[in-house]
Amino acid sequence: MADDPLSPLLRFESPIVTPYHTGGALTLDDESSASKLLVLADPASPTAQQLATTFGSAHRNEGVLVCGVRPNEWLILGSSEACWAAVATLDQEGHVSVVDLTHSRAMFRISGAPSASALEKLCSVDWNDDMTPNLAVVSASVAKVTCDIIRDDHDGVRSYVIACDRSFGQYLFDAVVDAAQEFRAQASLRDEIWIADDAFSTEVDAEIADLFVDDDGDEPADR
Amino acid sequence: MNQSARLSAQPGELIDRSTPVRFSWNGASLTGFAGDTIASALSANAVRVVSRSMKYHRPRGYLTADYWDPNGFVQVADDPNVRSGHRLLAEGMEIEAQNAWPSLEHDIKAANGLVGRFLTAGFYYKTFIRPQRLWPTYEKVLARFAPGGTVDLDTPLGYHDKRYAHPDVVVAGGGPSGMAAAIAAAEAGANVMLVEHGHALGGHLLWGDDTDRSLASELSTAVFAAGVEVLTDSTVTGRYEDNWCAIVQRSHPRSVERLIKARAKVLVVAPGLIERPYVFAGNDKPGVMLSGAVRRLINLYAVRPGRQAVVFSANADGDAAAEDLARAGVEVARVIDGRRGENIVAAHGSAKTLKSVELADGTSVDADLLVVAAGWTAPTSLLNMAGDRPVYDETAARFFPGSSIDTVLVAGGLAGDGSVDQLVEHARATGQLAADRSRVVRHRLQARTARAVAVSETEPTWPTDNRPLLDREPHPALFRSSTHGIVDYSEDVGSRDLVAAAGEGYDSVELIKRFTTATMGPAQGKLETVNTVAVLAEAREETIAEVGTTVWRPPYAPITLGALGGRIFEPVRVSSIQPWHEAHGATPIVAGAWIRPEHYGDPHNEVRNTRANVGITDVTPLGKLDLRGPDVAKLLSQLYTNKWMKLDVGSVRYGIMCAEDGVVLDDGVTGRLAENHYLMTTTSSGAATVWEWAESWLQTEHPDWQVHITPVTTGFTSINVAGPNSRDLVRRVVEDVDLDPDAFPYMGVRTGTVAGVADAIMWRIGFTGELSFELHVPAGHGLHVWETLLREGSDLGIAPFGLEAQRIMRLEKGHFIVGQDTDGLTQAASTGMDALIKLDKTDFAGKPEVTWALERDDLPSIVAIQTIDPNEVPDEACQIVRAGTNEILGRITSSRMSPTLERSICLGQVAAEVAEPGTRLTVVLIDGRRVEAIVMPHHAHFDPEGERLRG
Repeated sequence: MADDPLSPLLRFESPIVTPYHTGGALTLDDESSASKLLVLADPASPTAQQLATTFGSAHRNEGVLVCGVRPNEWLILGSSEACWAAVATLDQEGHVSVVDLTHSRAMFRISGAPSASALEKLCSVDWNDDMTPNLAVVSASVAKVTCDIIRDDHDGVRSYVIACDRSFGQYLFDAVVDAAQEFRAQASLRDEIWIADDAFSTEVDAEIADLFVDDDGDEPADR
Repeated sequence: MNQSARLSAQPGELIDRSTPVRFSWNGASLTGFAGDTIASALSANAVRVVSRSMKYHRPRGYLTADYWDPNGFVQVADDPNVRSGHRLLAEGMEIEAQNAWPSLEHDIKAANGLVGRFLTAGFYYKTFIRPQRLWPTYEKVLARFAPGGTVDLDTPLGYHDKRYAHPDVVVAGGGPSGMAAAIAAAEAGANVMLVEHGHALGGHLLWGDDTDRSLASELSTAVFAAGVEVLTDSTVTGRYEDNWCAIVQRSHPRSVERLIKARAKVLVVAPGLIERPYVFAGNDKPGVMLSGAVRRLINLYAVRPGRQAVVFSANADGDAAAEDLARAGVEVARVIDGRRGENIVAAHGSAKTLKSVELADGTSVDADLLVVAAGWTAPTSLLNMAGDRPVYDETAARFFPGSSIDTVLVAGGLAGDGSVDQLVEHARATGQLAADRSRVVRHRLQARTARAVAVSETEPTWPTDNRPLLDREPHPALFRSSTHGIVDYSEDVGSRDLVAAAGEGYDSVELIKRFTTATMGPAQGKLETVNTVAVLAEAREETIAEVGTTVWRPPYAPITLGALGGRIFEPVRVSSIQPWHEAHGATPIVAGAWIRPEHYGDPHNEVRNTRANVGITDVTPLGKLDLRGPDVAKLLSQLYTNKWMKLDVGSVRYGIMCAEDGVVLDDGVTGRLAENHYLMTTTSSGAATVWEWAESWLQTEHPDWQVHITPVTTGFTSINVAGPNSRDLVRRVVEDVDLDPDAFPYMGVRTGTVAGVADAIMWRIGFTGELSFELHVPAGHGLHVWETLLREGSDLGIAPFGLEAQRIMRLEKGHFIVGQDTDGLTQAASTGMDALIKLDKTDFAGKPEVTWALERDDLPSIVAIQTIDPNEVPDEACQIVRAGTNEILGRITSSRMSPTLERSICLGQVAAEVAEPGTRLTVVLIDGRRVEAIVMPHHAHFDPEGERLRG
């Protein structure tokens, strides 16, 4: 398969292509390759009840992060396998749409104690714990780009996932790195993520899966 | 002269004597110490004259020796208008005086003083109003006399940024009251930000006695222990709606200056009081200082401000200044007590130094230092910005807040008088109240924010203000002596000017401010507003309360344009193929937020190659909306002028979209991918607009329609493969779609695998007029597909083409561009697309207007135009006029030299009377020449029958 020029192992081209490497209290991780499935349904529908996630909040379930990004839209984040498995369990009777936005969004994570302080330089949202607690979801302008932002702490460390239109990815990443320099950010890039055609890169998928398991360590179901 | 005025170590001094600092003053080398301000370092070196006044160029020395000193503006290297009473000294600083030529010592412009009686307020306006034609000359001459420093246009910009903050309580002012309020608020559970104008917390305690300094230290320690965020060398410079506070942070390790936009739930205003100058003859001579300046120079910087002093004191601070002077070894020749009715009337001496003080009793005392403690001004600015109008209290001889504002609380001297302990107690109660009220505000915010931590439905009761009231201690009302002197030091406005202006009819405080410019200088009224009001009241024989004040507006303290600008956020959009474009020498073009390849060296060659062989171009910015649901066709029928209910799966249709006024909003093709799944394309610049337009129809007019819309513009990398060899090329990369013309006709859509990438969408359409396919592949594999096409097409003559070549080819084909060939008034009926307007539809957006427009015969039309001279390429927007006149009949909207036809081609909008094919037109070129052109029979200049397109 590797020798066939028309069906090689397909490399996911991240929209964030410029690497930065400095050390410090913040980390920035490119998570653009994570699957992102958008479910659109009426808030009163059985689908919405199954998703059990109100607008403005998120919760982890079976290895995915379900985010209520709009009153009638939910963004499911995780590995490809886990996301499609989650969608497969949904009651899709009636007017329900599932749109794969994996390639449509750039997405990265900023983690560390000063992560909110870095975001304060780019975004007017109130990041205090009572207004934006863990697993809160907010749509806001970050450096003049509309983003969905999910607070998703890990092991007690403050962490935010930022998703924007793919085409803004490099610009936004650069803006966040600039803001984070004050706190000496470390940016790591996953530019060697391989998603095999009709196959599975266990190592990579596991890395992505790890990001979206809950703190109890529940793993996504096997493919 | 080297630090000849430096005293021995003082108990509370801020200077570090172990770290000398070298600097230059007007070219002369001097030294100071780390911790000095520029003002204290100059004063330590016995520099008495530091500037020249704005209009009369009178020599000036330090008056307040702090941030607000009106005489202390200096140039530091390329930094103009530096406040020397605040800026800390740094090694190697090059400091120059401003507003003096050729030198501070000998300033030729001081000649203005000789004609001062003619340069009264309004002089410039009255003198240079006529003749108007000389205004440019006046401007050039007067600019040479403009005060201020020098701007170096090559100065590096520096890093400025902004920050948003959401503290529960912002405390403006870091003196004892501000600190006490901050501590109390933090101890009560509030998230507190304390903003202090000076370089350290403490306020007036810092230059007080041992007890004062000890309290300052104790409070400061408690502030940090309470977890308060402290910003020193920062100022709350504006208070806007709902306590949106602009804070300028002047000292930041990373940013030259930072603007903090803080939304405070409660604002505590504790700025202290600002000492007010006294108006008398000679009050601007070097050597006349306010008591605070003297106390700061002695106690903080160990500087002897003079050798022989007269102290005019009307309060305890004046008394303390006299004690400090005596302790510092300065001879206090006389203390004049304003509380007992004693007074001073004039300061005498040379232009550059004080020599004696004339008293009201007629006696004169020799002195080189006159210390004035005549009273205080309440800086109520932030309260004014919150809607309060201050009220004058005759007993205390100053203004106080006029009303109570729920979320803006006052502490310290602004609220009243008392001992330090009383003020601290009041401030602590203020902090507690601030914290309590902020909790209620927070509750309201959380209750109405979906993502926030849930709160109870019942809102807590609004805390009442039970703080103890502070006294208002009597103070003599000392504003102007029996003589006239300077009122506004920055603007060189004297009390005589104010009286004269009042006599001329400028007798309201707002008018007199603007006519004389009093209070409009860098101090913005902090030192001179009350004196101005007092002088005006005297002239009008009214009370100060009756005259009132002007309104303070932001900024309270200056803020650089750099901080206001902050980081320049200009979002940039690129496709996944952008790295390839850059690596292969594409000339970029900015298209909205997108960076796109304009060409790869020769756009005409790119056109020729595409028409002869095959070309590929990156069309990712093309707007794409994913539409799903059983009612999509209804929505399309509503939005477009043509019919959509019978579009087959696998088919594509072009449509024009109008606004409700019948004006063309957008156009594009929509393909039906499955039973209830469509993909709509829009113009690149119209994608967001069309999405909102569609959503507004669904959410407001047809909430019953089951349609989901998701923008997917950049989820696909979109590549247009065009040219006679395009089918052959696409065959090499597509495995699972029959590409034969019959199986995949023009205006068809298929899904399949392209270059091994599944879930690709292929359209048989083309903007260029060539046989072409648009390939939309998941963007994460876009570059792979692009590179595969180039590799697979190498023997087919493949080459990339950019936006310019695409524009030439679409113009050759006569395809108009919405927003280029149409404008905000272009009706659908003007496009020549009548066949796409189906008036037999029940409804569509803009139908009534479009129907009416089609009945008219006088609407302009979009037509194809060719100049008679094939080599003449009119610029776009050239006007088309009636022959022999300047009457405009239309304009050229698109224009290029066509490499295919080897002649110029155009589209244009023309009046109905000249829109017929064959009509001769007159085009006015931008160089003024007029050329002839002709209206063509079709929009398409090339292949009007579309044979190549449908191949």
